[in-house]
Amino acid sequence: MEPGDASMEVLTLARKFGTDLRSVQMNAMQPYSPDAIASLLAMVADDLQPSAVFAAGTERGNEVMARLAARSDLPFAANCVAAEPGDPTSVSRLRWGDSLLEVALLHSSRPIITVPPHTFPIEEGAHPTEVDITPFIGRIDDQDKLVRVDEHVAAAGGGVSLTEAKVVVSGGRGVGSKEGFAIIEELAGLLGGAVGCSRVVTSAGWRPHRDQVGQTGTKIAPDIYIACGISGATQHMAGCRNSKRILAINADAEAPIMASADYAVIGDLKEIVPAISAEIRKSR
Amino acid sequence: MSVAPALALGVVLVVAVALFSRRAILLYRLVRLGKPAKRFDDLPGRVRAEAVVVIGQSKLLQRLLPGLMHAAIFWGFMVLLPTILIAMIGIVDPHSTLPWLGEQGLYALLVDIFAFLVLAGVIAAFVIRKVQRPARFAGSHLGEADVILLWIAGIVVTLFVWHASRIALNLNEYPAAWAPISDLLAGSLDGALSPAIERVAVWAHVMLILSFLVYLPYSKHLHIFLAAVNVFFGRTKSRGRLEPVDFEAPSEEVRFGSATVADMTWKQTVDVMSCTECGRCQDVCPAYNTGKELSPKLLIMALRDQVLADGPKALASKTAKLEPLVPNAVTDNVVWDCVTCGACVRECPVGIEHIDHIVDLRRNLVMVESRFPEEAGSMLRDIDRASNPWGRAQGDRAQWAKGLEVRVLQPGEAPPDVLFWVGCAPSFDERAKKSAISTAQLLKEAGVDFAILGPREACTGDPARRMGDEYTFQKQAQQNVATLNEAKVTKIITTCPHCFNTIGSEYADFGGRYEVVHHTEFLAGLVREGRLKTLAGERKITYHDSCYLARHNDVIDEPRELVAVSGQAVEMPRNRQRTFCCGAGGARMFMEEKRGRPINEERVREAAGTGADTLAVACPFCTVMLDDGVRETGAKLQVIDLASLLSEAVERRKQSDQASVRS
Repeated sequence: MEPGDASMEVLTLARKFGTDLRSVQMNAMQPYSPDAIASLLAMVADDLQPSAVFAAGTERGNEVMARLAARSDLPFAANCVAAEPGDPTSVSRLRWGDSLLEVALLHSSRPIITVPPHTFPIEEGAHPTEVDITPFIGRIDDQDKLVRVDEHVAAAGGGVSLTEAKVVVSGGRGVGSKEGFAIIEELAGLLGGAVGCSRVVTSAGWRPHRDQVGQTGTKIAPDIYIACGISGATQHMAGCRNSKRILAINADAEAPIMASADYAVIGDLKEIVPAISAEIRKSR
Repeated sequence: MSVAPALALGVVLVVAVALFSRRAILLYRLVRLGKPAKRFDDLPGRVRAEAVVVIGQSKLLQRLLPGLMHAAIFWGFMVLLPTILIAMIGIVDPHSTLPWLGEQGLYALLVDIFAFLVLAGVIAAFVIRKVQRPARFAGSHLGEADVILLWIAGIVVTLFVWHASRIALNLNEYPAAWAPISDLLAGSLDGALSPAIERVAVWAHVMLILSFLVYLPYSKHLHIFLAAVNVFFGRTKSRGRLEPVDFEAPSEEVRFGSATVADMTWKQTVDVMSCTECGRCQDVCPAYNTGKELSPKLLIMALRDQVLADGPKALASKTAKLEPLVPNAVTDNVVWDCVTCGACVRECPVGIEHIDHIVDLRRNLVMVESRFPEEAGSMLRDIDRASNPWGRAQGDRAQWAKGLEVRVLQPGEAPPDVLFWVGCAPSFDERAKKSAISTAQLLKEAGVDFAILGPREACTGDPARRMGDEYTFQKQAQQNVATLNEAKVTKIITTCPHCFNTIGSEYADFGGRYEVVHHTEFLAGLVREGRLKTLAGERKITYHDSCYLARHNDVIDEPRELVAVSGQAVEMPRNRQRTFCCGAGGARMFMEEKRGRPINEERVREAAGTGADTLAVACPFCTVMLDDGVRETGAKLQVIDLASLLSEAVERRKQSDQASVRS
């Protein structure tokens, strides 16, 4: 969903605010530039004088609407699942990772509302079938083009993301250094998996925070999680508990991770991990 | 008596009182603008706090030199107060004085002594500020403090000169020998000039006092009036308790923490106006001392500046546009750096309650703005959904007790003598589990009738509450209180000081009233009664006081009793109520420590410095944090819960008894 795409959810709420619905198609705007879109929307709104502005509650929808709200000094409620027109406008919106429903009042003659997809039953009703395309030409300030998508770059690390990988090979304090992760990366590469790490590793600066598995990092659920030199603190286990199988490689047989591991190899990971890689190579 | 001086004094007095009142009334209205706070209960406790903290200067005297310096000036001014009246009478009629008191030799002696002490105090203050230059003054208004000190010195010096000139002119109503310093000074006065000196001195004295009075409410020195007020309205009991948000109130009255100055309570407004920028809070703050953005002193000063900037706007119009406190007064980082350890609150001589400010800012950021360190989100969701902060299956809660034959209290069963409230970390964390196991074994050993709730126990909500998520906290509180009340539980043991504080100090607000004891207290009782027999071992043990045990709840001696029966005790420099946090409080356990140095490592280094081989703890969060710290620093320390230490001592005794039976 992009701003401007009138989804069924958006229409369901917007219909309550009037029968004259106008859909603004923004997708043609390339490259994506939130300030530029917001500035155009502000001009359109000045022109059409709508009683409310709706958009899809996608990341881009919320971003553009937040900017529109800021530049037009209008109240903005994101992630609304219900809305009643009136003075003030009453909206119900999802908070707290959708665990809480908040009723909020918007004191304005032109509230801005975004509607998250797939969150409530849509109601059938008048759908603008007759497409009447009106070209709108507005000048975009150079300053509003400063923030834009110039290039899409895939995340480093072999292209397999931590959350989607079937195999995650993770390293902890036992790896010893930034360079020590070479053997972890090698094994992950051979298995077509992603590299993860524990909190100690990111605080030491050996790996970026996006690689961190745990309560305060990424929560993952791979088919197999290979934990190398990770003691298994609760905060770490909270991130990998949903792995189907956990293989622990650790010098300390008493490490807490042994309680959660399905398989364990007790010993020096610097010998064991390269040995596994060598075996895999041999069998291919 | 002559008319001209009386008239002049009258005019001066009217002007001074008018200028003073103008400001005082504004400040009073700003305080009245504050939201309600319940601080009118427990009168005896308030009077006691006033006697100990204000009159007794207890908090100031924790630091000897600055404490004595301040006490000299404070007590000095208490004694000198009537001399203001005496001087004004002297202006009108040099031959009159305050009936009775002005004629007492003993009072003249006290005035002489205390005026001298005030002067000595001012000099000491200058030595502290100019020579010692302690780091706690970083960020304070130093020039303003110098002006105030000189002002005080001026008041006392003119008093001495006035008294001396009166003795030289034989105007003293008391025997001159009773005022030795003034008498000495009188000898060096020029006889012919004495009448003029007497007039100049008394006028200078009174003018300095009145101008000081006018200056005070415009300055950081307002604490002269407000410290006594603020201490009086401070928390007298349950210091670890937070004021609940009343979600049942009409929606426009629900206070979701503080967004702007208009949301602050009147106590918070008095707090920020009372600050004298002494920096004792900053000096003890774990966040500040490990290079983070938060300084409790600068936080309070920034809030005060905003109250003075935005408060008048709010007074003028109910719909005035006020700046948000975050990030206008303080940044988001400042708000999240706090571990709610309470060191600042305990240290503050004027009774400022910093934690309330921090939590209110967090409540607004979390409940209204949804703005908080991203990584803490899963903890909040997991407490809400899984009833523990790590999202573990509730069904596994009693797994630590496997094979220990611990009774799991079923619905409808008769309650045990004591309920063992295990807590989430001792239930699920591999390292913290050991304390639960040791505690259960020791309770069985001593024949205590106890049970656990197993899967019916849910997170108390402490981390959510300290993060500002009052919704999740109250949901947990209501659920747990319902479970405990239905089970007819009367006495609860916890191993976790956070559960201890929450159930003991906060659940009463939700209808849960129980006798809550920490496992260290309960176990120490069993040792004292002889129900657990111990033999001390070779360990050299340093005990780390948990903030929520020692500082917030005064549990100090019992843990030390357990250390004493287990090995050789050695104290860290920062101990008991002046302990230094492990870094986990205030939900920091569930956030990344991205700024400054790790707090846990700082504390581990302090522990290692004692030469101990064992770092005893009484909190599962401290266990995890300090054990991590030991690994990071490579310190030669074993982190172990007091229950496990006691367990060793009991085992040792058994083996020694068996050995002696055999021999």
